[in-house]
Amino acid sequence: MEVNPPKQEHLLALKVMRLTKPTLFTNIPVTCEEKDLPGDLFNQLMRDDPSTVNGAEVLMLGEMLTLPQNFGNIFLGETFSSYISVHNDSNQVVKDILVKADLQTSSQRLNLSASNAAVAELKPDCCIDDVIHHEVKEIGTHILVCAVSYTTQAGEKMYFRKFFKFQVLKPLDVKTKFYNAESDLSSVTDEVFLEAQIQNMTTSPMFMEKVSLEPSIMYNVTELNSVSQAGECVSTFGSRAYLQPMDTRQYLYCLKPKNEFAEKAGIIKGVTVIGKLDIVWKTNLGERGRLQTSQLQRMAPGYGDVRLSLEAIPDTVNLEEPFHITCKITNCSERTMDLVLEMCNTNSIHWCGISGRQLGKLHPSSSLCLALTLLSSVQGLQSISGLRLTDTFLKRTYEYDDIAQVCVVSSAIKVES
Amino acid sequence: MLRFLGEKAAAKRQVLNADSVEQSFVGLKQLISCRNWRAAVDLCGRLLTAHGQGYGKSGLLTSHTTDSLQLWFVRLALLVKLGLFQNAEMEFEPFGNLDQPDLYYEYYPHVYPGRRGSMVPFSMRILHAELQQYLGNPQESLDRLHKVKTVCSKILANLEQGLAEDGGMSSVTQEGRQASIRLWRSRLGRVMYSMANCLLLMKDYVLAVEAYHSVIKYYPEQEPQLLSGIGRISLQIGDIKTAEKYFQDVEKVTQKLDGLQGKIMVLMNSAFLHLGQNNFAEAHRFFTEILRMDPRNAVANNNAAVCLLYLGKLKDSLRQLEAMVQQDPRHYLHESVLFNLTTMYELESSRSMQKKQALLEAVAGKEGDSFNTQCLKLA
Repeated sequence: MEVNPPKQEHLLALKVMRLTKPTLFTNIPVTCEEKDLPGDLFNQLMRDDPSTVNGAEVLMLGEMLTLPQNFGNIFLGETFSSYISVHNDSNQVVKDILVKADLQTSSQRLNLSASNAAVAELKPDCCIDDVIHHEVKEIGTHILVCAVSYTTQAGEKMYFRKFFKFQVLKPLDVKTKFYNAESDLSSVTDEVFLEAQIQNMTTSPMFMEKVSLEPSIMYNVTELNSVSQAGECVSTFGSRAYLQPMDTRQYLYCLKPKNEFAEKAGIIKGVTVIGKLDIVWKTNLGERGRLQTSQLQRMAPGYGDVRLSLEAIPDTVNLEEPFHITCKITNCSERTMDLVLEMCNTNSIHWCGISGRQLGKLHPSSSLCLALTLLSSVQGLQSISGLRLTDTFLKRTYEYDDIAQVCVVSSAIKVES
Repeated sequence: MLRFLGEKAAAKRQVLNADSVEQSFVGLKQLISCRNWRAAVDLCGRLLTAHGQGYGKSGLLTSHTTDSLQLWFVRLALLVKLGLFQNAEMEFEPFGNLDQPDLYYEYYPHVYPGRRGSMVPFSMRILHAELQQYLGNPQESLDRLHKVKTVCSKILANLEQGLAEDGGMSSVTQEGRQASIRLWRSRLGRVMYSMANCLLLMKDYVLAVEAYHSVIKYYPEQEPQLLSGIGRISLQIGDIKTAEKYFQDVEKVTQKLDGLQGKIMVLMNSAFLHLGQNNFAEAHRFFTEILRMDPRNAVANNNAAVCLLYLGKLKDSLRQLEAMVQQDPRHYLHESVLFNLTTMYELESSRSMQKKQALLEAVAGKEGDSFNTQCLKLA
């Protein structure tokens, strides 16, 4: 990690050690039975070994902490902790020691030192210690610059710097997908489901402590990643509480536009801001990391100029028995429309009522509700099609097919209509 | 040793070797107990040669006895303890999968008239399976352990149904059968313990935790230690909440125990929990509390010193570890303690080489020949 070795002899030596969390020592248990040659010897040796667990010497995972042996990897969102030690290697007293630690990235330079005051004097073989912490907020090359200035006994002012370069890597890969609600009911249609796929790009297992979606001002969010079991909130991931390196996990959220924005959401076009993901994770012995994604955006599905959605429709109807649906027609364009409704029959769907009637003028961003009656002549899951709206101003016709499904059962099974 | 301190120092080391003890099982046990394992390996070799086996004799007609197999087992076990896994693998090879005909009593009807079954010590089978995980093949370990487990389960089932171990008619007394059931139950437990350890090494934490739960059934007296171990596993993956739950369970279980051990376990777990929450000061307090109850607790001592480092107190940390090692080198000179010491010496000054040499001198005087000098990082 060290980039510049010192060129002249200094009285003080600067050493830096990254403080990742310690690891637990693992033993190698070797046992035998009483009747074997060594008798109890092997067990005795394990009992004498200070790093085995008292009373459970065969357990490999001991309790002895071992300091980190190398710099390791560091990921965006983690906290970089480091021990900085300045040691007086000489046999004279050194005065006015100032230790500064800065972190240089491609975009900025941050001061990390806990104190900016100079230490009056440092006796031989003594040291000045500092532990610095910094939450890493950028990816890429970082340089820890440690500068030491001091005055020798003879009054000479000395100065040296050491540079420690390290790379900050990307810890997670986040992919998002938006799904529109399957239902055709407009009360539900404006719901958007967000699937967030999170992949562990680090080299160690990761515990996802919190993955939450902070919605933008337009939406309310319901997280769908836990269920209530016996009164307790249980994660949908069950016993697989952690992510191995390269594992991916999917999180699901349901976003509903707030009431005051509901109308607007129905006719919104283009890009809307949905919210952002806030992710907190932990690795070895509670080493913490935190990331927020940028604002997630969604391309609103195009509804065209005129949107037809369903307000009410039964799930199941009887064969050849008329049933009612309620449609909502919304003018999503900028101009007033004069609409004419035509109903076309299909093989299975037969509309009741007058086709070709005028619905009246519809202003931009407003809607009207329409009750229609129809029946089906074929059993099974039928698709409702055949509505045509014509704007008489522009003489443009909009076709609406497969607007909803309904289950048609034979009259032998009577359905309460 | 020779390399670093020169001949004179090497001569100063008074270590028992294969020549200085009785050439028998008694001498062998002496060497093992005073940690002169390399010498013990040598002595095994000699005793095996006397049996007509050993160096350069693979491929010749074998003539195993229970004694010779025990000698092989001890030699292989010590090679594993010394970390010489490749050597152990090589020496295990002629034994195949430990089920060759010449490893059964029936092969030697003149020596063992009427006796039936395998002559291979059970512990040797465990060793043979576990060795693979130290060579980087944990899946192979798991496979071998499964085979052993299956056999143990079958034998146990036979015994519990009143039959002999091999499923034939039983000809022993009720007492004898009970003793056999106890033996095979403990063997089954030992296999499950190995399997749990192996899964842990493979980092399959979900299965490892399940396996450790099974082990508790066979070793109920180890429940608090095993639950604490599972808590530590949770800490390692970063699942602090689950760790906390397990540590609370340990507290409940140890309430019924008297004596210090239970209290120390609870304190140790609390310390680890605080470590997981980044609270090194609190962790240090708990480790120190343990030392008040048990001043010779090496783990608490080492861990307290480690906490001091994270709190920015390098000198204090070094002082604690050095005092510990000097107080009782026999007891405290352990790989991980020394690893920590040398890491801190590197941080402390440019004169770390001298301090490491001094450590080596201390070690040389006290340890057997089994010490792993690599942990001193003398390069």
